[in-house]
Amino acid sequence: MATSAVLEAENLVKIYGRGDTRFDALKGVNLQIGRGESVAIVGKSGSGKSTLMHLLALLDAPTHGVVALDGRPATAMADKEVNRLRNATFGFVFQQFFLTPNQTVLENVVLPLKIAGVSAAERRRRGMEVLERLELADKASSRATDLSGGQKQRVVIARALVNDPAVIFADEPTGNLDSATGAVVEDILFGLHRERGITLVIVTHDEDLAARCDRQVYLRDGFVVEEVTATAAEPRSETPSASLPAPRPVSRGRHVAPPSAAEGESAGGAR
Amino acid sequence: MKLVDLLRSAVSNTLRAKVRTSLTVIAIFIGAFTLTLTSGVGTGVNRYIDDTVAGFGDADAIFVQKSQPMANPSDDDGPREYDPESAEIETGFGMSFAGLSAEDIETIRAIDGVEWVAPMYNVTPTYLANEAGDRFELSLGAPADAAGLQMVAGEIPAADADEVVVPDSWVEDLGFSSAEDAVGGTVEIVMTDMAGKDRPFEVTVSGVTQANLAGTAVNPVPSTGLQKKLYEYQVSGGAREVPESYMMAVANVEDVSRAGEIKAQLADEQMIGVTVEDQLGMFKAVINGIVWILNSFAIIALVAAGFGIVNTLMMSVQERTREIGLMKAMGMSGGRVFGLFSLEAVFIGFLGSAIGAAAGIAVGSTVSRVLSDGLLSGLPGLSLFAFDPGKVALIVLAVMAIAFLAGTVPAVRAARKDPITALRYE
Repeated sequence: MATSAVLEAENLVKIYGRGDTRFDALKGVNLQIGRGESVAIVGKSGSGKSTLMHLLALLDAPTHGVVALDGRPATAMADKEVNRLRNATFGFVFQQFFLTPNQTVLENVVLPLKIAGVSAAERRRRGMEVLERLELADKASSRATDLSGGQKQRVVIARALVNDPAVIFADEPTGNLDSATGAVVEDILFGLHRERGITLVIVTHDEDLAARCDRQVYLRDGFVVEEVTATAAEPRSETPSASLPAPRPVSRGRHVAPPSAAEGESAGGAR
Repeated sequence: MKLVDLLRSAVSNTLRAKVRTSLTVIAIFIGAFTLTLTSGVGTGVNRYIDDTVAGFGDADAIFVQKSQPMANPSDDDGPREYDPESAEIETGFGMSFAGLSAEDIETIRAIDGVEWVAPMYNVTPTYLANEAGDRFELSLGAPADAAGLQMVAGEIPAADADEVVVPDSWVEDLGFSSAEDAVGGTVEIVMTDMAGKDRPFEVTVSGVTQANLAGTAVNPVPSTGLQKKLYEYQVSGGAREVPESYMMAVANVEDVSRAGEIKAQLADEQMIGVTVEDQLGMFKAVINGIVWILNSFAIIALVAAGFGIVNTLMMSVQERTREIGLMKAMGMSGGRVFGLFSLEAVFIGFLGSAIGAAAGIAVGSTVSRVLSDGLLSGLPGLSLFAFDPGKVALIVLAVMAIAFLAGTVPAVRAARKDPITALRYE
């Protein structure tokens, strides 16, 4: 795994509202994410972990501080370039899936390509390719709403992958799934990370999921309270095939993080 | 996102909410349908007027008459003073009225801007006879109108030949089997002179005319030469010579925009000048007035439909908040989101206006055909609704423009959505 930082955050401050309703979501966060690294941002509801991910993914601008991509500060980029980055360099996996109902699985998956202006034939080719990789090719023309939760999340991963991103941001990717299905989704994500060198940034309050990452960043009340890095040479034994369910709680490193009990970070239900 | 994808997405999004789209489309349909019909009436009637405008005469011509041609005595008037200079027109029925004298013609000719003056005789034939000997009452039209007549068959009469054109409706009674058959046939015009002596003039039918709005084709129209010949016989044989007098004169002006000042000068000389524009003005003003009243109703309907579009798309933006957030998160620019929603508005506008215009054309053409065969059969050549492809296209485009304007409000709202807030929206 390369050591050059793909994403850097320096002294990030994010304040929502003002006066009585003022809420300091982040109070000065420094973070570096290396190319090909997998990082879990862990914290309770309200700890600022989602805000941090949004800032890193250039979905939002910090009140103070700088986010830099490959050493280039985001503030120096034009809107157009930021849009292109989010489209081509980043992939997003959301807890609530955000699949467009009444559209087919394939249509949902190729949305980033459509936004990028890729031709219809090429979209179809690449869409089918990624669906095959995730063993969803037979569902290509099903309505997105007709799928099970696990299938939906695989469609979301397919959508995140279709434009060949360098970084995948996953916000509670297993939050709406039962543990068996969740494990499959985890295996897919870590498989991609390992095989294709995709940088993973996972926001979660699930300790087991966080433990599978190279590094865990614990947030509390807008501050980074601890960073835990796994020993570099630790052997990995995940099943290579992404489709095999392998619920395998992995626990390593020490942490002083808040209890992992789910507090309903995101109340959104699946569509 | 490519334009074609944007367009395709807009169309499929619009068709996704079928009931809502249909209701909005119906509102636009009503406006576009009405606008197409009213514009069709305007086009139809105005086209008919333009086609028959020549029937009223030359646009550069002023028709000049004496200000008070008829003596209309009322109870309050004393006896009128006798004016030996007044040109009394002999009508042959013991009635006479003040016409234009040779002097008046000279006066008109002297007015600056008048190119030439053609005096028109008042000829009152006794009767018309066909080859079988049937007799008919006859009044003749003015040769000056001949140029503007629309012919069913044949030609307008040659200036110097003893020729006449007859209305289409006369053909059968005159003993001809068809309009084509009538051309080249002969009729007799019988004149009576001052001494009461009848004389037949053999006249060739040079053509058959179509009825028109101007009414110039109601009577047979002789050639200039024939009219003069008939007039000369009409005033001959009397004990005294009848002073030269004319019922009317046609003054051709160089520049029709100067007609106003020429008419003013004519008024100073106790003459009245009327242009074709004056005659047509009334018709056109009334028709355009009606068309615009109807148009304004249609436009009110369209404005209402515009608010329908605003409402529909507002709901759509609200419903699709998360979808918009997702697209923006995935790098779709605000401009493209704006484009997507305004295209949806334009597409709704296109649907409503295209269907409305098509229905308007279908209904208008049908009504037009039925009326032409029935109520309006007396005015051949008039189709009440006529559709100018350019105007219909303009209506469709205008409605699409209104739809676009209506769509900007929700489209801006969609474009301004913050991806994070939009994704959190429930």
